[in-house]
Amino acid sequence: MHMTRLKEEIGLIAPSTTVGSGVLIDEKKENLAVSKSRDPYVLGILREFGVYVALALVLFIVTAIAMYLGKSQPLTAANLSNIVYQASLTGIMAIAMTVVLITGNFDLSVGSVAALVGVVFLMTVGTLGFGIAAILALSVAAFVGLVNGAINQFLGINAFIVTLGMLTGARGIILVLTDGRSLNSTDESAVAAMQLFETTRQPMNVVLYCVGGLFAICGLVGLYRGSTSRVRGVFALIGATIVGGMGILSGPRDTVANPAIYFLVFTVVIWLLLTFTTFGRRLYAVGGNAEAARLAGVNVVGYKIFGFLLSSLAAGFAGLLYVSRLGSTYPGAMQGAELAVIASAILGGTSLFGGSGSVLKSAAGALLLVTLTNGFNLLNLGANYQGIIEGVVIIVAAAIYTVGAGRRR
Amino acid sequence: MDTLSLEGIRKIYPNGTVALKGVDLVVRPGTVHGLLGANGAGKSTLIKILSGAITASGGTMRLGERQLAWKRPADAMKAGVATIYQHIPVVSTLSVIDNVFLSKTAGWRRSDEDAAKLRRVMEKIGYYLDPDATVGDLSIGQRQMVSIITALIEGAQIMVMDEPTASLGVEERDVVYKVVRQLTSIEGKAVIFVSHFLDEILALTDDVTVIRDGVVVLTARTSEVDSDAIANAIVGRAIEAIAREHAEKSADTGGIALSVKDLASGSRLAPANFNVATGEVLGLAGFLGSGRSEILHAVFGADPKAVGAVTLNDKPVGRSPRAAMRAGMALVPEDRSSQGLFMQSSVCMNISFPYLSSLSKWTVLPEVARERNVAEEMIRRLKIKTSSSESLVSELSGGNAQKVAIAKWLASRPAMLLLDEPTAGIDIGAKADILALIREFAANGGSVLLVSSEFEELLAVCDRILVLRKGHIVAERIASQTSEHELVLLASGA
Repeated sequence: MHMTRLKEEIGLIAPSTTVGSGVLIDEKKENLAVSKSRDPYVLGILREFGVYVALALVLFIVTAIAMYLGKSQPLTAANLSNIVYQASLTGIMAIAMTVVLITGNFDLSVGSVAALVGVVFLMTVGTLGFGIAAILALSVAAFVGLVNGAINQFLGINAFIVTLGMLTGARGIILVLTDGRSLNSTDESAVAAMQLFETTRQPMNVVLYCVGGLFAICGLVGLYRGSTSRVRGVFALIGATIVGGMGILSGPRDTVANPAIYFLVFTVVIWLLLTFTTFGRRLYAVGGNAEAARLAGVNVVGYKIFGFLLSSLAAGFAGLLYVSRLGSTYPGAMQGAELAVIASAILGGTSLFGGSGSVLKSAAGALLLVTLTNGFNLLNLGANYQGIIEGVVIIVAAAIYTVGAGRRR
Repeated sequence: MDTLSLEGIRKIYPNGTVALKGVDLVVRPGTVHGLLGANGAGKSTLIKILSGAITASGGTMRLGERQLAWKRPADAMKAGVATIYQHIPVVSTLSVIDNVFLSKTAGWRRSDEDAAKLRRVMEKIGYYLDPDATVGDLSIGQRQMVSIITALIEGAQIMVMDEPTASLGVEERDVVYKVVRQLTSIEGKAVIFVSHFLDEILALTDDVTVIRDGVVVLTARTSEVDSDAIANAIVGRAIEAIAREHAEKSADTGGIALSVKDLASGSRLAPANFNVATGEVLGLAGFLGSGRSEILHAVFGADPKAVGAVTLNDKPVGRSPRAAMRAGMALVPEDRSSQGLFMQSSVCMNISFPYLSSLSKWTVLPEVARERNVAEEMIRRLKIKTSSSESLVSELSGGNAQKVAIAKWLASRPAMLLLDEPTAGIDIGAKADILALIREFAANGGSVLLVSSEFEELLAVCDRILVLRKGHIVAERIASQTSEHELVLLASGA
C-alpha cells in the first residue's frame, strides 16, 4: 500500500481514490469548484527533477562512449570528484547568481569582479601575507557588490545595465592596475599559503559520508513530512544511497581537492538558508512581489542589495581560488565567466523574473556544463563544436522549464 | 444581421473543473444583451468560448443559419464576433492607426485609404481620436475605444464587451454607453455587455442573462425585471442585509484608538487630522485621485514622503510599514495581485508571511505545521474556497484571492485595519462576506479605516465617513445621517 501511494505521488499510476475525471460536482460542495490544476505528470516531473536526470544521463553517455572508444573513463568516485573540482569556480558563482536572480535582479559583473579580486590579491599577497591580502581583496569585491546594489536600488537603474557597466569598468581597472601585463607572486610563503588554500586534498570517503548523510537526513525528513515533499524525499534517499555507496567503494587513497569542498559547503549553506529560514522565504518574496513584501514590513532594498553583495563576494572567492590555482593571473582572466555562471542557473531552472529558483539545481547545472565539456574533450570534438552543443542544451533546458508554464518553486 | 444563438454550451477543463453545464443564450441583432454572474459563475469561460480563446466541450453555436466552430481567436474575428477585453490588448508604443490596422497583412504600413476608413468608422460611432496619437498616452477609456474601432474595421457584427466600464471614470462611462447605443440602434450590431454594475445593466441593455454555477438562472427582457430580481439571481444575498444588521446593533464606539495629526504627503495629500475610535469603522469617500489611498499609505508608513504624527492607543507609531505592523496596524492594499499577494505562492505561505517570525522557531526557522494550522483556521473563518491551503493563490477566483489578502493580516489579530477598496472587482457573494467580516472585526473591538469608491458600501458598514477631494478632507458625516447622493455631491465638489 505504501508503495502504491508513492507511485501515485511520483505519477507512475493514476490516483486510485478519485474516480473518473471529477465531473461529480455537488452543488453543496462548492470547494470542488476550485479544483487544483495539475501539469501533465511527465512534464511536471521533468521540470522538478530534470536537471538531475539530465546530469546522470550525460554522465552515463559520456562514460559509455569513452569506454567504447577504449579510453577508460569509469564512473569512479575519483573521476566524479574531479568533475566537481572543475565545476567549483563556476558553481560557487552560480549559487550566488541564483540568489541574485531569486531577488529579481541580475549580475553580469561576476567574471570581472573575480579577475579584479585576483589582481588585488596577487599585488598585495607578497607584502601583506595571505590572510590580510585575501580580506583586502574580498573587501574590494564587497565594495563592488554594494555599489552595484546601491546604484540599482537608490538610482533605480536596471541591474542589467549597472552590472554591464561594472563588467567593463572593473576590467578597465584591472588593465590600469596591471598595465596590461600578467602578474605572478614569487614570495615563497605566499605561494605555500595559496597551495594550502587551493591544492590541498581531503580524504574522499569522509566527504562522501558527510554528503550522503545529509541526503539521508533530508530524505527521511521528506518522507516523514509527507505530501509533496515525499517525492523529493525518495529522490534524496536514492542520492544518499549512491553517494554512500561511492564512499564505501572509494579507495583509502582517494582524495578531494579543497575547491570541491568549498563548493559543496557553500551550496549546502545557501540551500539551508533559502529553504528553512524566514530570511530565505523573504528573499523569494522580495523577488516574487516586491511591493507586497514591502507592505508586509520587509526591508526590500536590503534584501536586494544583499543579493548583489553575495554575488560579488562569491565571485571574489572564486577569483582567489583561480589565482591560487595558477599562482598568476593575466588581464583577460575569467573573461566571459559570467555566461557560464548564468547558464548554470538557467539549466537549474531559475526564473529570470525573480521569485523562484533552487541552488541545488543550479549546482547540478554547473556540473552538467563541466561534464559536457569533459565529454567533448574526451571525444576530441574540439572547441569548434562545443559552443553549438552547449547552446542547444541551454535552450532545450529553458524550453522544458517554460513549456506548460506551471511555475512552482 | 443574424441572431447569435448558443445551445447547451458545456465546458469541462482538463483538470476536471466543470465551468459550464449547458448554457443557452440568444442575442438578437440590434440589441444590447447584459451578461451577469458572480466571480466563478462561468461568465469568463463563456466569453473565452465566444472569442475562440478556448473551445467548448459540447453544445452548438449558430449565427443565423450558419454553424460556428472555431479553434482560435482569428476564426471568431473572421466570423464577425469580436471580444473587447477588460485588460485591453493594445500595443502602447504604436499610434492609434497602427493599432487599428495591426492585423492587416498586405499593402503599405500607412495609406490614405486606411486613414479614410478609420475616419469613416469614427464618424459612424460619433467618437474621435487623433490617429497619430501614441496609444500609451491615452486614457483607459480611449484605449477601449481603440479596440472597439479595431473590431469595427475588421467587420465585427457581434461585440462581446467584458466589463468595459469597470476601470473607467464617470465621464468615460457615458462615452461607452453612447457608443454602445449607437452601434446597436443605428448600426444594427449586437453587443454582449458584461458588467458587475446593476444600474448600468438596467439602463443600457435590452435583454439580460444571469449565470450561476455554470447554468443560466435568469434570462429576460430587461424591461420586465428589476435590480432586486437580478441581484437575487446572482447570489440571493444582498448588502442591505448587513446594513440592516448594522443599524440594529447601532454602534457604541469606545475611546480614541488611532489619532492622526497633520499627516501630509507632497502635493497629493494636504495635512489631514482625524481620529478613529475603538470599534469604529471610519469610511473615506472620494473619487480616483482624491488622495484616499494616499492617506492609508501615509498612516501605515508605506509612503516615504509622508510627514506628520500618527498614534495608536496613545503610542506613537514609527514611520515604516514594519513599525506600523508592530504597533498593531495592517494594510490591505488596493491591487491585490501587484501589491497584496504572492500569486505564485501557496495560500498558506501568503497567510503566514507578514508574521512569519512569530510562527518560527527562534524567529528564523518557519514551522510548517503551525503555518498550516493558522492558514486552515483563516480558510474556515473567512470561508475561502480553495481545494487546500497548499493551492497557489493564482488558482483562486478574485473574491477568494481578496479574502486571502485580508486573511494574512487578520491572523495576527491587529488592532487597526486599513482597507483600500477591499471589494473592488469581486462578486456580490464575496463582497457580502467581506463587509460582514469588517463589521465583525469592529464589533470585537478593532478599528477600521475603509476606502471604497462604492458609496453604498460605505453607508452600509461605516459609522462615520470622511469625504476627500483633491487631497483635502472636505467633509465629515455620520453614516446614518447622510445619503449616497450627498456623498457624491461632496466628493465631486458640485
